[in-house]
Amino acid sequence: MSQLLAEIPASTVLQSAGSREAHRVVAYAAWHSLAWLVFANVVGVLLALMLIFPALNGWLGEWTYGRWMPVHMNLQLYGWCSLPLVAFLFKVYGADREPIAKWCRPALWVWSAALVVGSTSWLTGHASGKLFLDWTGYARVLFPLALLCLWALLATATMQGWRSEAFNGLAARITKVGGLALLLLIPPAIYMASNPALYPPINPDTGGPTGASQLESVLVIIVVLLLLPYGLTRSRTEQTRMRALAWGVFVAETLLCLALGRGDISHHRPTQYISLGSLLVWLPLTPAYYSTFAWHENTRRWRVAFLCWWCFLVPTGWCLFLPGVLDHFKFTDGLVAHSLLAMAGFVSSLLIFVMVQLLGEDGWIFNQTLSFYAWNTSVLAYVLVMLYAGWREGNDAAFSMVPGVARNAVYTIRLLLGVVILLASFDWLKDATRLLRSPQAVTQGLAGEGI
Amino acid sequence: MPQSKTERSGWRGVSLIAITYVYFLIFAQFAFLKRLAALGLAEAHLKPVMAAMAAGGMMVSLLAPRWRGFSAPEVRIRAALLGCAAAVFLSLLPLTFAASIAVSLLIGCSLGLLTVTLVTHLRRWLGEGSLLLKVGLGTGLGYFMCNVPTFFEADARAQAVAAGALCLVGFCCALKAPGSPAVCEETSGQAGSTSFWLVLIGFTALVWLDSAAFFIIQNSPGLKAGTWQGTAHLWSNGCLHFAAALGSAWLLRRRGSTWVLPLAYGALAAACLLLLRAEGLVAASVFYPIGVSLYSVALVAYPSLLASGSIEQRGRLAGWIYAVAGWAGSALGIGMGQNLGAVPPLFVAAAGLLILVPGSLAFLRRRRLEIAVTIAILLLAFGVDKLLDGGRAVQASDSAVERGRTVYVHEGCIHCHSQYVRPGTRDELMWGPVQTVAEVRRGTPPLIGNRRQGPDLSQVGSRRSALWLKAHFENPAEVSPASFMPSYSSLFQDRRGDDLVAYLQSLRPTDAAQHRKDEVFWHLSAIGESDHGQPLFHAYCATCHEADGPTRLRWAASFMRLPPNLSVEALAHVNPADSTEEQVNQFAQIIKFGIAGTDMPGHEYLSDRDISSLSLWLAQQRVSHSRTTNIASGESK
Repeated sequence: MSQLLAEIPASTVLQSAGSREAHRVVAYAAWHSLAWLVFANVVGVLLALMLIFPALNGWLGEWTYGRWMPVHMNLQLYGWCSLPLVAFLFKVYGADREPIAKWCRPALWVWSAALVVGSTSWLTGHASGKLFLDWTGYARVLFPLALLCLWALLATATMQGWRSEAFNGLAARITKVGGLALLLLIPPAIYMASNPALYPPINPDTGGPTGASQLESVLVIIVVLLLLPYGLTRSRTEQTRMRALAWGVFVAETLLCLALGRGDISHHRPTQYISLGSLLVWLPLTPAYYSTFAWHENTRRWRVAFLCWWCFLVPTGWCLFLPGVLDHFKFTDGLVAHSLLAMAGFVSSLLIFVMVQLLGEDGWIFNQTLSFYAWNTSVLAYVLVMLYAGWREGNDAAFSMVPGVARNAVYTIRLLLGVVILLASFDWLKDATRLLRSPQAVTQGLAGEGI
Repeated sequence: MPQSKTERSGWRGVSLIAITYVYFLIFAQFAFLKRLAALGLAEAHLKPVMAAMAAGGMMVSLLAPRWRGFSAPEVRIRAALLGCAAAVFLSLLPLTFAASIAVSLLIGCSLGLLTVTLVTHLRRWLGEGSLLLKVGLGTGLGYFMCNVPTFFEADARAQAVAAGALCLVGFCCALKAPGSPAVCEETSGQAGSTSFWLVLIGFTALVWLDSAAFFIIQNSPGLKAGTWQGTAHLWSNGCLHFAAALGSAWLLRRRGSTWVLPLAYGALAAACLLLLRAEGLVAASVFYPIGVSLYSVALVAYPSLLASGSIEQRGRLAGWIYAVAGWAGSALGIGMGQNLGAVPPLFVAAAGLLILVPGSLAFLRRRRLEIAVTIAILLLAFGVDKLLDGGRAVQASDSAVERGRTVYVHEGCIHCHSQYVRPGTRDELMWGPVQTVAEVRRGTPPLIGNRRQGPDLSQVGSRRSALWLKAHFENPAEVSPASFMPSYSSLFQDRRGDDLVAYLQSLRPTDAAQHRKDEVFWHLSAIGESDHGQPLFHAYCATCHEADGPTRLRWAASFMRLPPNLSVEALAHVNPADSTEEQVNQFAQIIKFGIAGTDMPGHEYLSDRDISSLSLWLAQQRVSHSRTTNIASGESK
């Protein structure tokens, strides 16, 4: 499979962006994504404030903590984390080329409109009760339709570009059409998964996901990690063995995951934690795999960051699943810490890396030293502080339920770190806005595409 | 003519703007009205007196730019300031109705002349550089001074005298106009593409909203107390005004009036709508000063610095703005406040239409493809949703429990409360007993949750009575000290609150008897100190068990049995014949797990040391009371 994918001329993706409008498409998607990040971070700061100053709830009427939480979580996932991948798809399918490029903005608008409708529905007290699948009522129809709208755009771009250089070669055509077929499954999947009657396997000892479910989720991330470079850049053909190895391990782990089944199985079962432990092989494999591709020099900082976060995420994730450890941290801030490590640490740095690669020279908007270090050190500090809180909470549930000096101090530090994270994201949004307003930046970006 | 350093600094312009605002806000809007009330002219005579002020203001605002006599700006400014000061000192005399109309007319005419002349020729006094920021500074200082508590709360005479004195200071500031006439002719024309008449309509709508909200607050004691009474409120208002004025100047410099007016509208609209509800008062008190300062800076900056055209043209624009938006808008707003007592939401929406739509048209034209596609998909989703809705079996939630579960889901309780007791952990004793996965899966969806910031609720019905739950939803901290859960009292304005209580009450174990046995086997693992018991009693128990406990007073009629005085009264679950040690254990059991079938809740999350301290203290209280009683009865024998 790796060889098949290696045949796709990755450069075609970059070559496809030949016009000013085309380059703006990525910048525009980045702007939408960042706007949602900033908004979701503002909500995050508000939530942190509410935990320290509960009187704030009185000011907000019925818009209480419980209603803001899905807004915060879903906007991070469906706004910040998803839209950079939409930009990636625009590039891969050549939707950023004329004449289809002008339809990319409407597709982003529809996506953002669905998020506005979703947020309104959560704030007005409409939720499904399923975390990250809170789509209900009208919003539950609108969001999959927004995804279908994007799919239609990509399908049209595929048809228009069928004979172009971007679709040169059988492998490229098969992969892209196969990808389109898979993408078409996502809207109905989201709609159906939001059904309250469907619920994933439950770990009977914690009420959380099973080891097999976690392995499944991580493998989805790994396949995305493996596919991303093919859409972003060209491979160094002399290092095909490493790529083959990575794909081979992925296939083996997928088979392992299938063999584990989907039952309600405890994390105390050795098969569960040992199979999840198999993910540790990706610690050396991922950096090695990424080193086999040629990257724009602007990506260096964020490439290192996302690989570091990955190397922190995988072992800690596994450790937190081990018997005894998970029993201690379940339902505590310790798992909040790990979620933040995953989303704000690993996923965010990966997405920024992707956007910098897509933007080329215009990737400077993410490369300001201050915001880079502010974001990463704050996230790290946040993770450590919350792990400490989770550890305390695991010993004594009253630590978080009956606020005392220690809990309030920890939550105040969290609030301050949240503010720093917000400021860093605001800095990126500010620069992305400047980028969209500046015609020079576009020409710089075009000049920088010759990787 | 070269300018000196002080002239270039522009302090004269900043001072003149601040003085004008202070005079208008503190004297014309406050002290003069209080003076009229003191003279007995406030009721029937108020309207004609104030109408005279508005008429004078409108007339002079429109005529001054067209009148050629005494055209030197400094002469006009000085004359206007003298007129203002004279009106102040005249108002202190024992005025008749006719005299008060004359004074009011003088105030209006002087203010009309002052405002129009000042903004038309403002550049003369603003020095060099950062002109908009200086306008913001002057406006912010003006509003800030008015909100200084000693000034704001001073009597009418003191306020009037201070305003008059400031006019004389202004007279000195305007003695010399340092800027050359050529400077005054300069026009920047940064106002953007929006036409003057649309800007005028926008200003009028904003002043209308501001004046209506101002009048309503000023004449409603409850609203007044919640917005601008008390030192803290006034300082906060002053700071908000000042910050918003500087923010407005910054925005005007970067974006012209296209951003400031919609933002000012947003803040004022929010304030007007929030004033409709008592609980929105605090938020309204934040939005109102922000909105007012945002547009007040623009009101000065637009005709003086942003509008394009010759000085004569800008003078006329200023005249229209102050006559129509300033005086007429203000009168209309006050009229609305007087007659309706509130700003109708429909009017707020209409004002929004006037302010936002013109500015949005260009954006709509530029983004018509995006807007068309988005609207099309929104409509398509609406149609699909209706189709699917029609196809779905109607699932009417008939029972209160089912409806309550929906409330639980919709309010996002899942984000703080789990519903999963982990087998073989401390959960079992605290929140137990354990449910099987099959039982958990019966809920659609299972509400397991992933974070506990409050207790697990999977069996809460066996641990908390309906009354406790309701009291807790109404005011969590009253029942559960240090609780950071928000109040859900609004749910009880309709049936949602009772449904939620019914749902939580339904969450009970199938085998409660076995769990009770486990509770009985529990014993304290740490020994506390009775001295620590008293503060714990006051924090956790007094609310129900003391005669003046807030929960007891509020829900006295609803308790199954009125909570007893724990020191004095006989207790059904603590045997006085038992040893003190036994009684301590009985207290500990009750504190930890509550009493099933009563309103007494458990305190599962308290540490054993705290439970021990509280139990020891309670047992001691009972012993010392019984000793006192015994001694007293012995003496009486």
